Amino acid sequence: MRETDRFSLLWSPVGRIIPLIMLGLLWQATSSLRLVDPAFLPSPARVGYAISDLLAGSEIRDNLFITLWRAGLGLALGSIAGVWLGLMMARSPVFRAYAAPIVGGTYSLPKSALIPLFILWFGIGTTTTVCAVFLACLLPMVVNTAQGVASTPRVLVWSAEAFGTRPRAMLWRVYLPHALPDIFSGLRVALGFSFVLAISSEMIASTNGIGKLIFMYGENGAYDYMFAAIACVIVVAFLADRLLLAFTEKSLRWHESARVR
Amino acid sequence: MTSEVPSEIPKVDIKGVSKTYPGDRQAVQALQAIDLSIAPGEFVSIVGPSGCGKSTLLYVVGGFLDAAGEVLVDGKAIVGPGTDRGVVFQEYALFPWLSVRNNILYGLERGPLSAEERARVADRLIGVIGLKGFEDRYPRELSGGMKQRVAIARTLACDPAILLLDEPFGALDAQTREVMQDELLRIWLETRKTVLMITHDVSEAVYLSNRICVMSARPGKIVEEFKIDLDRTIPREQLFTSDAFNKARNEVWISVRRQALAAEQAAHAGN
Repeated sequence: MRETDRFSLLWSPVGRIIPLIMLGLLWQATSSLRLVDPAFLPSPARVGYAISDLLAGSEIRDNLFITLWRAGLGLALGSIAGVWLGLMMARSPVFRAYAAPIVGGTYSLPKSALIPLFILWFGIGTTTTVCAVFLACLLPMVVNTAQGVASTPRVLVWSAEAFGTRPRAMLWRVYLPHALPDIFSGLRVALGFSFVLAISSEMIASTNGIGKLIFMYGENGAYDYMFAAIACVIVVAFLADRLLLAFTEKSLRWHESARVR
Repeated sequence: MTSEVPSEIPKVDIKGVSKTYPGDRQAVQALQAIDLSIAPGEFVSIVGPSGCGKSTLLYVVGGFLDAAGEVLVDGKAIVGPGTDRGVVFQEYALFPWLSVRNNILYGLERGPLSAEERARVADRLIGVIGLKGFEDRYPRELSGGMKQRVAIARTLACDPAILLLDEPFGALDAQTREVMQDELLRIWLETRKTVLMITHDVSEAVYLSNRICVMSARPGKIVEEFKIDLDRTIPREQLFTSDAFNKARNEVWISVRRQALAAEQAAHAGN
């Protein structure tokens, strides 16, 4: 009881921003006390000013939209392909025999290592970024979907069969709904990867996008604006993750993990 | 009471069914040459020691497992699962992503009924199983007894001629189980469906069945059969305390016990 009392403030909505405020204060103190050269670590106040300046213009917005479009497209294509491949892997032993070594071999490969290869093939621009995002999103989706489909209890399949469900319909009437919780956890991982790959790919293989913008501010020594752009990315990525979580919760109301009404 | 006419084609005819599971070290024979004919409208229960392959037999009749021998329904060999055989699984097997109503509607969607008629069937069954007000709940929000009622309603919705019940009340508490048994008995008396039920509860088998088959431990064989001729129209209390009921119950119980002891001895001898 006393333990929960002591920590209850931390769990409240207000409590959750306390650590962030503390981090901000620490940051401000570091630069006010000149512990670090302010040229390399601009103070929160200066970053705040840079943020308001950026938000007043269209540069940050335009580049964020370009990045979101690339990340979103790669994520969408990667997820659709990943669900399909995962389904095939779980249901077809022949397909699994061919695909499993490829998935196993490439799963832990950092997909950013392939960006130079995509530059070689597709040049600088959207195609390269989308390909990198696609590949990064594909594997967690394949692995999670395959796992969710393969763990379908046989009695569920049997009872669907007893009601006359045909093998093809079984995929979307039983296997996919059963895999949905796993698909959503794959999607959350993939969403994170999509930002990582979109931004890192833009830094070296693009003429625009938020990744390029951050990189350029850094190159030009405009560190306060670089921090401001990073802050914008953090906010957007956080909101995207929360949006996905809300959608997941709504879609999985039937699942054990859902909160009881 | 149902009377079997010998010339009638059995509703379900199990002929020489054997099933062997491939094992890591040695294959396990679950069923050995099972022969069993079930007349139309007959309620047959299979009882036996745990692990004797009772459920395996039900899965073979359901068409879910391949096995040696053949299973005929209305004189025709089955080739897989079919809507003529409604199955209620021990684990309920409700679709967790569908609400109570949609679970009950699931099997109807491929049938000939219009959407309106399907909704009417679902509404009626929701009333029969006493789950009005729970139509839009998901299975995870229901108790074990409620889930089992939905599972039974879902199977009855499709109006199958044959019911295959795999320890349908095994996971329920004693009170709920009695209520559900009475409900099943009432439905059977009304519809006279052909029923094959797997159970380990001897009283349940005697209370509900026309005939009880006792199975031996692995490999499962039908070692004894009991015809049960009781008046199902009298109340449960009266039936349970009657001499006829208790005589039948004791006979079946002793037979099952003999099989369980034999299984235990065989296990010791094997060690």
